[in-house]
Amino acid sequence: MARCSCELPSGRFSVVIEFQGVNKWFGSLHVLNDITLSVQPREVVVVCGPSGSGKSTLIRCINGLEQIQKGDLVVDEKRVGDPATNMTLLRTEIGFVFQSFNLYPHKTALENITLAPIHVRKTPRAQAEKDGRELLAKVGLGDKFNAYPSQLSGGQQQRVAIARCLAMRPKIMLFDEPTSALDPEMISEVLDVMVAVAEEGMTMMVVTHEMGFARRVAQRVVFMDQGSIVESGAPEEFFSNPKTERSKAFLGKILRH
Amino acid sequence: MLENFSFRTIGEYLPLFGQGLVTTVWLSVISFAGALLVGILLCAMNLQRSRALRVPAKAYIDVVRATPLLVQLYFLYFGLPRLGIILPELVVGVLALSLNSGAYVAEIIRAGILSIPRGQVEASVASGMSYLQRMRLVILPQAFKVTIPPLLGQAIVMVKDSALLSLISVAELTRAGQLLASDRFMPAEGFITVAAFYLMLYYCLKGLAVLSGRWLGLGPARSRA
Repeated sequence: MARCSCELPSGRFSVVIEFQGVNKWFGSLHVLNDITLSVQPREVVVVCGPSGSGKSTLIRCINGLEQIQKGDLVVDEKRVGDPATNMTLLRTEIGFVFQSFNLYPHKTALENITLAPIHVRKTPRAQAEKDGRELLAKVGLGDKFNAYPSQLSGGQQQRVAIARCLAMRPKIMLFDEPTSALDPEMISEVLDVMVAVAEEGMTMMVVTHEMGFARRVAQRVVFMDQGSIVESGAPEEFFSNPKTERSKAFLGKILRH
Repeated sequence: MLENFSFRTIGEYLPLFGQGLVTTVWLSVISFAGALLVGILLCAMNLQRSRALRVPAKAYIDVVRATPLLVQLYFLYFGLPRLGIILPELVVGVLALSLNSGAYVAEIIRAGILSIPRGQVEASVASGMSYLQRMRLVILPQAFKVTIPPLLGQAIVMVKDSALLSLISVAELTRAGQLLASDRFMPAEGFITVAAFYLMLYYCLKGLAVLSGRWLGLGPARSRA
C-alpha cells in the first residue's frame, strides 16, 4: 500500500496545504515561528513534538479555528484568512477530528453524522441517512445509529466523530491528538479506522504520538518544538536516525515507555 | 386581633379579586413574552463581536439591574407623556415589566449559551455551518434545557413585580386589595387575600417548573419515542 509522493505530478496544483513563512503569537508567546510546509494530495503527514510546541495550533490554522498573523497559508487553492475566501465553504472540504470528540450530545450517532450533510451540503435526508448508516458500518458501529454519545465509549465516540467528518466527503482530514483522551484498549480501534481512511487516499495531517501509526501510513513525520518545525522526514528515517538533539531527546522520552 | 376579621367582606369583594387575578395573569403572560423578546435581542447583541452592538446591550442591562423597578415604572409613566407618547396605564405597565425582566432574561439566556462547551462551537464551525445554523442546530437546543428552570424563576419574580402596577392604577390583583383596604378600611382582609392569590400563582408556576424539569429530565434517551 505504499504511496509515494514522488509519483505525483509536479506543479502548484499538486499541493493541497501550503504554509509559507506562517507566524502566530498568543500574546507574547510565539506559537508558530516561520512555518513553511507543504502537503500533497493523498499524503499523510504526522506532526509530533512536546506539548506546547504549537502542533495543534498548526493544524487548527488550516481550517481557520485559529488565525495566522503573518505569512501565507493556502488550502485547496484558497488563501486562509483572505477576506475573499469563503471560510465556511472551505471548511466543508476539511474534516477535523478533535481530541475530545465534540459529538453533539443531544443528537444520536446517526444524527451527528447527517446534520452537516443535510443542512450544509443540502443532501436529501433519506440519502444522508443512507450514507450515514454506511459510514457507521464502515467504522464498525453499524448497530449504534440510534445511540446517544453518552451511551458510547470514548473509542466509539471518536469513531462516530471520524464518520461525521467523512460524511461531508472532505478533501482533507485533520486529526488533533485523536487518541490522547482514550483508554489504552480503545486506541487501536480508532487507529485502525484512521489507517483505513489513509489507505483510501485521503490527504491527512495527524497530530499524534502514536509512532506505530506514523510507521504504517505516514509518508512524512514533522517534528515541532517551541513553534518551529525542527525536523521533517520519512518515518523510518526520523525514528531510526533523528538528526537534531531535540528530536533525539523527544524520541527518547516517548519511545522508552 | 382577628376576632373581627370579615370573611363576609372578602366574599363581597371576590368578583373584584377575580378580575384582578385574571388581569395579573394575562398581563404577566404578555409581559413575559415581551421579556423573552427583549432578552433574546439583548443577548444576541451582547454575544456579538461588534462593540457597537455589545456596549449598548451591556449598558442597558446594567442600568435596568441597577435601578429599582418602581423608578423605571415612574420613569415611563411620567416620562413618556412628556415625549408626547400617551399610552394607557396597562400598556405602560406591560412595557415596564417587559423592559425590566428582559434584562434579567438576557443574562439567563447568555449564561445558558456560555455553559455550552467551546468544543461544540468548534465542531459545528469545522463542519462548515453558518452562525445561524450553529445557533439553531447545536447551541440553542442544548442551551434551552439549562435555561428553562431559571427562566421560570424569573417568571415568578415578574408576577410578584407586577404588583407595582397597582401604583399607576392598573386594576390588577394588588389594586383589588388596595380598594378593599381603603373603601372598607380593612387592610388585613385586603392584603391577606391578595397574598393568598399570589401564593396560588406561585404554586402554579412552581408546578410548571417541576413538570418541565421532569420533561427535560427524560433526557435524550427517550426523546425519540
